[in-house]
Amino acid sequence: MRKAVFNVNNKEYTVEIEEDLRLLDLIRNTLNLTGTKEGCGEGECGACSVLMDGEVVNSCLVLAFQAEGKKIETIENLDREDGTLHPIQQAFLEEGAIQCGFCTPGMVLSAKALLDKNPAPSKHDIRESISGNLCRCTGYNKIAEAIEKAAETLEKEESDSGTARRGTK
Amino acid sequence: MRDLVQNVYQAKDTDSILNLLDQYQDEAKIVAGGTDLIIQMREGNVSPPVLIDISSILEIREIKEEKNTIELGSTATFTDIEKHVFFNHSLSAIAKAARSIGSPQIRNRATVGGNICNASPAADMLPPLLAMDAMVVLKSKQQTRVLPLSEFITGKEETLLKSNELLEKIRFQKLNPNEGLGFSKLGVRNALAIARLSLAVYVEWDENDMCQNVRIASGALGIKAQREWDVERFMKGKCLNNSLFAEVAAFLEESTMKRLAGRSTMNFKRYAVQGVFKQALDEALEDMERRMIYEKGSF
Ligand code: FES
Ligand code: FES
Repeated sequence: MRKAVFNVNNKEYTVEIEEDLRLLDLIRNTLNLTGTKEGCGEGECGACSVLMDGEVVNSCLVLAFQAEGKKIETIENLDREDGTLHPIQQAFLEEGAIQCGFCTPGMVLSAKALLDKNPAPSKHDIRESISGNLCRCTGYNKIAEAIEKAAETLEKEESDSGTARRGTK
Repeated sequence: MRDLVQNVYQAKDTDSILNLLDQYQDEAKIVAGGTDLIIQMREGNVSPPVLIDISSILEIREIKEEKNTIELGSTATFTDIEKHVFFNHSLSAIAKAARSIGSPQIRNRATVGGNICNASPAADMLPPLLAMDAMVVLKSKQQTRVLPLSEFITGKEETLLKSNELLEKIRFQKLNPNEGLGFSKLGVRNALAIARLSLAVYVEWDENDMCQNVRIASGALGIKAQREWDVERFMKGKCLNNSLFAEVAAFLEESTMKRLAGRSTMNFKRYAVQGVFKQALDEALEDMERRMIYEKGSF
């Protein structure tokens, strides 16, 4: 066992972990943030996607100790302070991009990683950004459309508010 | 697998890695991106008592462009390579190879050093680096060794890396205007492709269309990613025309049939290899032309 400090969703957690614990298990079992899902457990499906220092990674392929000192962001961090959904989440709902919902947290985070860096992505950029996230329900089109819509909403928010930040709590 | 890992370290600089390796030797395993190792650990194939994480060390992640050489830090990720200006503008075959790997999530973590040290026969980055005649720089507390990548990789998942050594960087020469590099790969799926067959071709052509020098490296065409010395010898000194291409294709088909005799993939790969070769060669020639045009333009 090892004592370790993690920064998840801008909160500091000091916990005891097993040396070989995966970041995925830390998030789901130790911190009880169960929005992150486990699908394949081997880097194929993207259900376990989280952001680590702003980059999307498969948390099933990161050991928890490797994430010490990094900023981890999970799906639980996306809704806004006033309790409304993040524009990406809202667009997923409105476009019918969610069926069973198992892939959704990972999809939304892949989309966020894209839009944080590239506010006006092409259709190709969007498809590429979710190419590591499998969805067995929707057929992907609606997801790609939702991301396009979210990009527009975020752009509009940005230009409307001038100084007010988009993004998260 | 539980309980087996006793100690983990997040190394902060190269010296601390070398000290830890020196202390633990065989007991220690380096983990960078973890995209291969964590799966192997969960399958019970490896169970290292000590893990040394090197993924946060920036000094061995740098991609350095010198006057005549490129140095690739071993923990540069595929995303780093794919996005790097030099590879996008001046050696796009390497950016293409990086982009062809896994998914964005995998590319954000997987490192070039991991790809080399795990030495999977299907490792995507190996053929282009082999075709560039890359050297690996290996560091231990006691010494630094520099070896050709082609010697470093000795077999399926086997290399000459010693237990106290770190692969620090990979180094290769930049190309001249009369040289080009191409890469082509046949994968099963685009997003999560593990190369089923890939070839990288380096060529140096003179003004009479004579092949001065050529290096060809394959992935998943045998027990390891490797140079195709016989094909190279066959091409060298010949003129590029359709009949040469047909001869090389026949040569490749024959050697693939020999090498993969008895394997179920042989019948597929003996044909596929010819198309993949054509693509890689065409790309190498285009690359060379681009470089020549650029060179002329800059005078
Ligand atoms: S659970 Fe991590 S990629 Fe599938
Ligand atoms: S909505 Fe069911 S897997 Fe995507």
